[in-house]
Amino acid sequence: MIAPELLPSAPGLTADLGALAHQLRQITVKVKTHGVGDGSGVIWSEAGLIVSNAHVAQSESLSIELSDGRSFAGRLLRRDPESDLALLTIATGELTPAVLGEPASLRPGELVFALGHPFGMSNVLSLGAVYDRIKSRSEREWIRADIRLAPGNSGGPLANAAGAVIGLNTLVAGGLAYAIPVTAICRFLQQRGKRAA
Amino acid sequence: MNPPAASTGTLTSLSNDLADAVARASTWIVAIHARRRIPSSGIVWQPGVIVTANHTVSRDEEIGLTLPDGSSAPATLAGRDPATDIAVLRTDAKLAAADRADPDHLQVGRLVLAVGRPGPEVTATLGIVSAVGGEWRTWHGGRIDRFIRLDLSIYDGFSGGALVEAGGRVLGLNTSGLARAMALALPQSTVQRVTDELLQRGRVARGYLGVAMQPVRLPRAMRQKLELNGAVGLVIVNLETGGPAERAGLLLGDLIIGIEGHDVSDPSDLLRYLGSDSVGRRVNLSIIRAGEIRTVGIEIGERPSPRSDAS
Repeated sequence: MIAPELLPSAPGLTADLGALAHQLRQITVKVKTHGVGDGSGVIWSEAGLIVSNAHVAQSESLSIELSDGRSFAGRLLRRDPESDLALLTIATGELTPAVLGEPASLRPGELVFALGHPFGMSNVLSLGAVYDRIKSRSEREWIRADIRLAPGNSGGPLANAAGAVIGLNTLVAGGLAYAIPVTAICRFLQQRGKRAA
Repeated sequence: MNPPAASTGTLTSLSNDLADAVARASTWIVAIHARRRIPSSGIVWQPGVIVTANHTVSRDEEIGLTLPDGSSAPATLAGRDPATDIAVLRTDAKLAAADRADPDHLQVGRLVLAVGRPGPEVTATLGIVSAVGGEWRTWHGGRIDRFIRLDLSIYDGFSGGALVEAGGRVLGLNTSGLARAMALALPQSTVQRVTDELLQRGRVARGYLGVAMQPVRLPRAMRQKLELNGAVGLVIVNLETGGPAERAGLLLGDLIIGIEGHDVSDPSDLLRYLGSDSVGRRVNLSIIRAGEIRTVGIEIGERPSPRSDAS
């Protein structure tokens, strides 16, 4: 053991990481699917809207576990396998919704954080950096990050150093994490609004 | 802009610093098109001179660059050194050269970024320096001044890119060509030395004896009779036809026990005498033949270049 007084002092950084972890825990849920493996989700509104991946929300019966341990039955409002997004709702209010960041201003090297439940382990925080932003051949937008994620992170938030959510962690390829930018999620939600109207 | 979600001023400013460092480095990181598949990365080392990882330059001609402003420019191969995995290119494009970091900043635990351009845009990964050691030799005998091991990911196309400190200055050149499954960087001083030599001569000369050797334990009786200090000698198991050792009269089965009066117990003990300035120099080898110690003078030759397509 190293005596505490010999450790370099970085109180600002340590406190910030703690605040960030706390912030991300509050807005992240566990999506339990009774079969295909648990995933993550992001609280989108105070009134119980939750965004996750379509490949996570595959079943009609989902239970949603909040970070405070409360569990709710989740109702699937919309699921789009093409964009790999799903919108769920739970019957409760007064939730802490995600603060959204601006993916367009992301720069390579910027710090990013992911919170999720990789391999069933709850509330795991990962640190990494922005690698780049790309558009796939099918015009899908991605934020790529140099961050270590695993199954169970899917549907969880990718956030910047201020704790603002910039993307939804969706897949890992070639060692890089691919996240759907929040701008694309907002478009998905607007489409739903139109359809409902 | 949205209001900050959490009060994380220190973290945010660190994040901004890291992105600034990448932005700064991006002005002297180019993409190099000299192989199939995806391009690799290169560093503008000095005006008109770009360094990269040799194993990513699979052709000698028709080498193209993607510059930081997105435009294209041709480059020519000034020389390559497979032993240190460094290739040097020349270009007429007017580009700012990399800012060099203070080599003292190469310390275990430092936050570092690998910056590459595996396409039109610059990309970055984050990690720390995980080990710093002294001089070492690559499997082709290239001398690397310092061992730099990194805890960070080197993705496809990152070889030839820069290891950058948090201020955006270059600490070294990243390559995946010298060690499997380990991120390594070549220190600035090695890049500079090899670059100077390649620009001057187009190649890095290496001394060569033309022998293959195997360490063997010397029998105690022999050590006592010949009053030897070392317990190990190097038995010659192959002689290059017409090579320096054969011309000097060495034979298969001769046991090398010393060079210039120093004991040897490993082939790397000889490599130390075979640097780029050794070619043409005469050295004395101490050998045991037929139970007797003899001294053989040998003129160091120049090693034929290893196949450039070696990975």
